[in-house]
Amino acid sequence: MEEEIMVMGTLEQLSSVSPLSSSSSSSSPTTHDNNNINSSINNHPSSSSSSCSSLCVSNVSTKRTDLSTDLRLGLSLSPSQQLPSISSQQIREHRSFDCWPPVKSTLRSTLVEKSQTTSSSSSLFVKVYMEGIPIGRKLNLRAHHSYHALVKALSHMFKTTILCPGSHQLPLKSGNVHVLTYEDQEGDWMMVGDVPWEMFLTSVKKLKITRADRC
Amino acid sequence: MNYFPDEVIEHIFEYVVSHRDRNALSLVCKSWYRIERCTREKVFIGNCYSITPERLIQRFPALKSLTLKGKPHFADFSLVPHGWGGFVYPWIEALAKGKVGLEELRLKRMVVSDDSLELLSRAFPNFRSLVLVSCEEFTTDGLAAIAANCKSLRELDLQENEVDDHKGQWLSCFPDSCTSLVSLNFACLKGEINVGVLERLVARSPNLKSLRLNRSVPLDALQRILTRAPQLVDLGVGSYVQDPATETFVKLMNTMHKCKSITSLSGFLEVTPRCLTAMYVICPNLTSLNLSYAAGIPGSDLIKLIRHCKKLQRLWIMDSIGDKGLGVVANTCKELQELRVFPSDNIGHHAAVTEKGLVAISMGCPKLHSLLYFCHQMTNAALITVAKNCPNFIRFRLAILDATKPDPDTNQPLDEGFGAIVQSCRRLRRLSLSGQLTDKVFLYIGMYAEQLEMLSIAFAGESDKGMLYVLNGCKKLRKLEIRDCPFGDTALLTDIGKYETMRSLWMSSCEVTVGACKVLAKKMPRLNVEIFNENETADCELEDEQKVEKMYLYRTLAGKRKDAPEYVWTL
Repeated sequence: MEEEIMVMGTLEQLSSVSPLSSSSSSSSPTTHDNNNINSSINNHPSSSSSSCSSLCVSNVSTKRTDLSTDLRLGLSLSPSQQLPSISSQQIREHRSFDCWPPVKSTLRSTLVEKSQTTSSSSSLFVKVYMEGIPIGRKLNLRAHHSYHALVKALSHMFKTTILCPGSHQLPLKSGNVHVLTYEDQEGDWMMVGDVPWEMFLTSVKKLKITRADRC
Repeated sequence: MNYFPDEVIEHIFEYVVSHRDRNALSLVCKSWYRIERCTREKVFIGNCYSITPERLIQRFPALKSLTLKGKPHFADFSLVPHGWGGFVYPWIEALAKGKVGLEELRLKRMVVSDDSLELLSRAFPNFRSLVLVSCEEFTTDGLAAIAANCKSLRELDLQENEVDDHKGQWLSCFPDSCTSLVSLNFACLKGEINVGVLERLVARSPNLKSLRLNRSVPLDALQRILTRAPQLVDLGVGSYVQDPATETFVKLMNTMHKCKSITSLSGFLEVTPRCLTAMYVICPNLTSLNLSYAAGIPGSDLIKLIRHCKKLQRLWIMDSIGDKGLGVVANTCKELQELRVFPSDNIGHHAAVTEKGLVAISMGCPKLHSLLYFCHQMTNAALITVAKNCPNFIRFRLAILDATKPDPDTNQPLDEGFGAIVQSCRRLRRLSLSGQLTDKVFLYIGMYAEQLEMLSIAFAGESDKGMLYVLNGCKKLRKLEIRDCPFGDTALLTDIGKYETMRSLWMSSCEVTVGACKVLAKKMPRLNVEIFNENETADCELEDEQKVEKMYLYRTLAGKRKDAPEYVWTL
């Protein structure tokens, strides 16, 4: 579940990041390329007939004549920087990977549309406060598909035990057990878990984690 | 030589149908050439610039069915600039002038104007079948002309075309008297169509066997259409969005029970995955399933659907199915012959496909002979295993998303893996390579790929030797397309006679110079050597030492073409 939050987070990050920077550290050039695929999808407009659309990975697109200059510049960087040795593979990786992977334009545009529609409905961020802590967090409810997943994620986020809705556990006297409540569209504070998940998503405005012995 | 009168030979020739066989017949002797040409009804022209329409009409007076291909294959991936060519109008004009009794026209990667469709619809009274694949420039106005004027139209099949939708009522242009439709495919159209008109058209087409809808046709209309056409064999679903808790959906579920003839399913251009349960009842009959445009179906739902498809022979799917899903395919689809796995923009790498999925397929599907596989990585070990499990490959196309990625386990190039494929698959006719590759893979290809007809290479090789291995070794090579490889003038010029035995050669972003292309063009007058010069201005001189960005050469009997745009220099 956390992996999903991270992935969604990365998507948000990437949409504001320029295509040539990588958002995760990696020594292998191939992973760098994958990050570029992701940012290309968010950044590049759909194709015209002589340029390529979002599935393209654009590395440093140098004209062939400039290639030797690039290599020389690479060698002149300070030794404290890690420089991989220049190989024919390296030369190839400096090329422009335009129009790769080889996918027909009709399929590309289907995927561009898909990514546009899913990104608009794939996130629903709400504020989450825990009783006694003035600084709140934000959570994407659509990254989770059930109450169970949500509670698990929040328990981890706030490092406490949150009772699952519908669970028959008796609340302990200790203050380290909490329940989840939410504010709905009418401004009322309700116990999370009474209505179907999809319906909950349409009515939730904020979440609050309150101590179990207060409810 | 001729022990039989002509009529008998003609009769025998009627049974010889394939283009290759007919071509072979025509080479036997002069009288067979004569008889063959007078009786040939179907002609296939792989490069529309290889011959003039007049010459075609002169040779085959009985011509009824013509297939034409225009732009080179890499045009599919936006590597050919706009306006390059492949115009069908001159062909249709010539066929009309020659009073050819044209009945069928099949076009691929051609530029089709509304005018040409208009002329086509009026000039051939027996015209009955139009198939357009990856074409462009026409609009729904052109389709309206076809619908209105072709009195005995049986087939209108539009596959993956770029169509300008003028939101006209082209479907309404089918007259009430049109009841002959057998196949109607408009899935690639983006605009709205009048659903009522469509339903009435289906209702008066008792022979309709194939129907592929576009995304403007909603689920309730699909249900009504299927009620009217339970005889359908091939269905392309348009929009498949519905709340499963509605009466409409229940109706659809019931209707599907009556569609026992459907063996081919595609589309789902928009989809509510939970509604796919309605399709389960026809899945056991399916031999062909194309979900390559169904971007809205998550992997888990793909897997659930495929579990019901035990008879599947052809599967086109997105990589959201994942390696595990391919394992399910391998366990379920024992009759599988053709598999295509397309890349989705799936950020979650855990759902993407790798070499593991392919190995699973090779173990479970021994009849597999055609593969197009987009994946995140591939290993030599996997390719060697696949080669051993599936020696029957005819088409093997691998596209690793990171084009120069080596074997992630050993960090070696994929030479050995592809080498195993060509060595094991003696009937291989088409091969596409990717991943990190040295000259060695080309040595293997030249040595073992005796039946190879089409080879696609990208970001591979180390020197001219690579290309030379292929040109020397692959005796049956017809199409060679190369991009971003270090092959230069020596490779290009060593065996120039070879190019007349091939249909075409494409080289882009390689090391070939203008000078070498000029030399080649001068020595081989029956080749058109075209250079695309997109960056320079029109009056700029081409210098011999300059590297060529894009070169396309093809054999031709038609000489230099006169319709080339400014940026194309035919040397």
